[in-house]
Amino acid sequence: MRLISMAWRNVWRNSRRSMVTIAAMAFALWVMINYMGLVDGMIVGMEHDAVDLEVGDLQVVAQGYRDDPALDLVITDEGALLQGIDALGYQAAPRLLGGGLAAVDHDSAGVRLVGIDVARDARVTSIASRLNSGQWLDPDRPHDVVLGKRLARTLDAHVDDQLLVLSQGADGSIANDLYTIAGIMGGVGDAIDRSTVFMTAGAFRELMVLPQGVHQVTVRVPAGTDLDLAAARVTALDSGQAEHAIDVQTWRQILPTLATMLDSTRGLMGVVAFIVYIAIAILILNAMLMAVFERIRELGVMKAIGYGPLTVFGLILAESAMQTLVATGLGLVLALPSMWYLQNVGIDTGVLGGMSMMGMSFIHRWTGLYSVRGVQEPVFILWFMVGAAVLYPALKAARIRPIQAMRYQ
Amino acid sequence: MSILRFQGVTKIYRQGQVEVPALRGLDLSIQAGEFTALVGPSGSGKTTALNMAGALDIPTSGTVSLEGTDLAGLSKRALSHLRRDRIGFVFQAYNLIPVLTAYENAESVLALQGVALADRRQRVMALLDELGLAGMEDRRPDQLSGGQQQRVAIARAIASKPAIVLADEPTANVDSETSQRLLGLMQKLNEERGVTFLFSTHDDRVLAYARRVVKLVDGAVAEDSAA
Repeated sequence: MRLISMAWRNVWRNSRRSMVTIAAMAFALWVMINYMGLVDGMIVGMEHDAVDLEVGDLQVVAQGYRDDPALDLVITDEGALLQGIDALGYQAAPRLLGGGLAAVDHDSAGVRLVGIDVARDARVTSIASRLNSGQWLDPDRPHDVVLGKRLARTLDAHVDDQLLVLSQGADGSIANDLYTIAGIMGGVGDAIDRSTVFMTAGAFRELMVLPQGVHQVTVRVPAGTDLDLAAARVTALDSGQAEHAIDVQTWRQILPTLATMLDSTRGLMGVVAFIVYIAIAILILNAMLMAVFERIRELGVMKAIGYGPLTVFGLILAESAMQTLVATGLGLVLALPSMWYLQNVGIDTGVLGGMSMMGMSFIHRWTGLYSVRGVQEPVFILWFMVGAAVLYPALKAARIRPIQAMRYQ
Repeated sequence: MSILRFQGVTKIYRQGQVEVPALRGLDLSIQAGEFTALVGPSGSGKTTALNMAGALDIPTSGTVSLEGTDLAGLSKRALSHLRRDRIGFVFQAYNLIPVLTAYENAESVLALQGVALADRRQRVMALLDELGLAGMEDRRPDQLSGGQQQRVAIARAIASKPAIVLADEPTANVDSETSQRLLGLMQKLNEERGVTFLFSTHDDRVLAYARRVVKLVDGAVAEDSAA
C-alpha cells in the first residue's frame, strides 16, 4: 500500500513530464482505437459490398461457364436447385447473363446484360439500394432497364430515355428490342458501373430467346456459416441428371485478390499499431530512465536503509502502471465520442469520386466498426509495450548499488 | 560486548590505473552502548569505514563483523535485511524520501520489517514527540528545516531499534545551534535508550559530546581515547 502511495506521489513529482507521457499514451490509444475501428469498418464494408452487391456468398454456374461463358451454357434444372438451396436455409436468386450492344440516340457501347428475378434477387443482394436516380426494376414493367453509372455517362443516357439493345439470341437470331431506362445506378464496382444493363429475367428470356435455364445462381448463407462447408452442401445438391454439372465457388475464390487484400489489411493494421506503440515505448523508456537517473541518489538511500531490489523494481513498475492507467482512462474517454461519431455518422468518401479497389467501388460512407476486441487489443498492446519499455529502467533501479548511488551527483 | 569489529581491514579504490588506499589495516571494535566519534582529516577513511560498517561496501582484505557475523559471507539479500533490521543510518544530507511525510519517513523501515500498523504508529509517534517533532508528522521534507529533517532521519534510524546507528557527518549541514541540539539529542538517546552510535565528524564541537573518540589518519587508527 505504501509502495502504491509512493509511486503515485513520484508520478506527480515532475508533473509536466508525467502529463506529457500520459497525454502521448492517451493519444496513441485514441488513435489506435479509432484506426482499428475504421480499418475493421472498411474491411467489413468492402466484404459486405462485394458479397451483398454482386457476388453473393456463393455463386453457382454450370460447369465450364467460368472459362467459356456461352449463352447456352446454363443450369438447366434451376427449379430443383433453388428448392434445394431454400431447403438448406440459404437464400438464392438466379441470374441470366449475356452480352450485346446498347445505344441511346447516336451513342453506343458494348454492354453486359443481366436478367434478374426481381423478387428473389431482393433477398440476396441490396443492389437496388445503390440506385442513384429513377427506380428499380418491376416485373410488371418488363421493358424497363437500369444502367450502370459510367455506362449511362458513356451513352449520355438519362432516366426515361429509350435504350436500344442489340444482340444475338440463343437460337442464332438477331435479338433487338427497345427499352425504357427506368433507373441509373450509383457507383457499385467496375463491372456494373462501366457496362451493365439490368433487366427482368422475363425480358432477358424474351430478348435472347432463352426460355429455360439460368447462367448463375447467387447464394447467401446465414452470418457465421463456414463458406467452404456451405459450398460443399450446395454442390451436393447436384443430381447429376442435368445436362451440365454445377460449379460452386465462394466469393473468396471468385475475388481472390480482394480477399487477400482484406486479409493483408488486418496484418497492415498490426504493423501500424506496432510502429505507433514503438514510438510511445521509446517515450516511456526515456521518461522512466530520466525518472530513475534523477532519483538515483534517493534510490541508493532507499536500498541502503533496507528497501530490497524487488521493492525498488516494483516501485518503478508501479509508477509506469499508474501513468498507463490514467492514460488508458483518458484515451478511452476521448475515444468514446469519436467512436460514436465514426460508427454512426462515418466519413463521407464521396470526395473519392467513385474510386474503386480491386474492382469494387470504395465504400460510400466509411464507418467505424467497434467491438470489445477492437478496444481491448489497443489497450492490451499499450500495456504490453509500456511493460516492455519500463523493464530496463526498473531493472536499472533495482540493481543500483547504494554506495555508488549515494555518491552520484 | 563487541557489536562491530574491524580486523585488519584494507580498502583500495581504483581510479583508472591508480590504486588509492582508503583503509590500511584498520582494527577497531565498537561495544554496545558506545557513543563513538570517528575523527580525522579529509581522506583519512572515516566515510569508508562507516560504509564498511553499514554493509554498503566490502573490504579489499580483512573482516568486518556485526554482532559476530562476518559481513563478507552474506548474500546481497542477507545484507539488505541486515541493513534494514540491525543498522540505522543518518546521512550528512539527511536523505529523506521527499515524497513521504515526516511520519512516513520515520516509519519506513518499520513498514519494510512488516511491523503492524498500530504498533509502528505508536512507536513512531512517541519517537517524533521525543525528538521534538510533534505536530510536524504530516510535513514533507521540503517543509522542514535542516535540523528538523535530520531529526526525522534520526527517528528513521532508531525506530527499528537497530544494533548500531551509523551517522556520517550528521551535523555538517546544519548551523551550530542546531548541531548542538542534534548532538545533545543523540547523546540523550544513547544514555537513556542505550542506542549505540558511531559517527564520523570533522567538527571539533562534536568531540565534547563523544564518550569515545577514534582518530583515523591515512586509513588506520592513530589515536583512540578508549585505549
